[in-house]
Amino acid sequence: MKVQVRNLDKVSILDCSGDVDLYSSPRLRESLLAEIRPGGPSVLVSMSGVAYIDSSGIATLVEGLQLSRQTQTRFGLFGLRPNARSVLELARLHKVFAIFENETEAVENIGSTSSGI
Amino acid sequence: MRIAIDSEPRLLSILRGVVRFCAREAGFSSSEAECLAMAIDEAAANIIRHTYAGRPDALLALEVTHFADRLEFILEDWGPKVCEELIHPRSLEDVRPGGLGTFFISSFMDECTYDRDFKDGNRLKLVKYLSRKGSPCNEGSSSQSG
Repeated sequence: MKVQVRNLDKVSILDCSGDVDLYSSPRLRESLLAEIRPGGPSVLVSMSGVAYIDSSGIATLVEGLQLSRQTQTRFGLFGLRPNARSVLELARLHKVFAIFENETEAVENIGSTSSGI
Repeated sequence: MRIAIDSEPRLLSILRGVVRFCAREAGFSSSEAECLAMAIDEAAANIIRHTYAGRPDALLALEVTHFADRLEFILEDWGPKVCEELIHPRSLEDVRPGGLGTFFISSFMDECTYDRDFKDGNRLKLVKYLSRKGSPCNEGSSSQSG
């Protein structure tokens, strides 16, 4: 799995690709925890390159969500493939996360301000 | 088919590949195969994290047997005995990191039992029937394996 961070105006986008599992999720966690901080930009995770995500990957995203609430950082996901979306739905987390179809929609909704979600 | 790997998280992708292959060979759809791969991945990850406490040099084995009506997966480890009573899916109302692995295993598999006669560690049998409807894997998802 790879995580690349892009810094746009008031929003950081984490581009994830590959499998997010017990082996790789610590890398995603490290990147998320570095980006989500008080007074920091909004944070979006691009999931379009994620072919597989397990419970440790989901736990990492939930941890990011919780940290975003603590730090008043807007946080969201976009580009979920059907498998990842199904897994989130099964775990009833699809309504907990702010999920968008694509980057444009996500940036429009999440990237416009630095707090509120 | 039987495969044994070291208890290294980076090797879990090998197990997932084996399960996808066996599931497709047995006649499961690609989305069902993906769910089965996830269930076995979660069970193996639990062995690595809990039974072996993250030790990377222990052994775990997966045996897959195709019967006419089902696939049986046997996962073996040689760690301390698991306390079955402590293993149960957590409430989904509780939104917090962790604890979802057992939930996914029980959601994707039809049977999940420990072999009490296996003395040297733990032997977990997971069964998926070919014809049973109502699986969460069949509810509109398509496969995108990695």
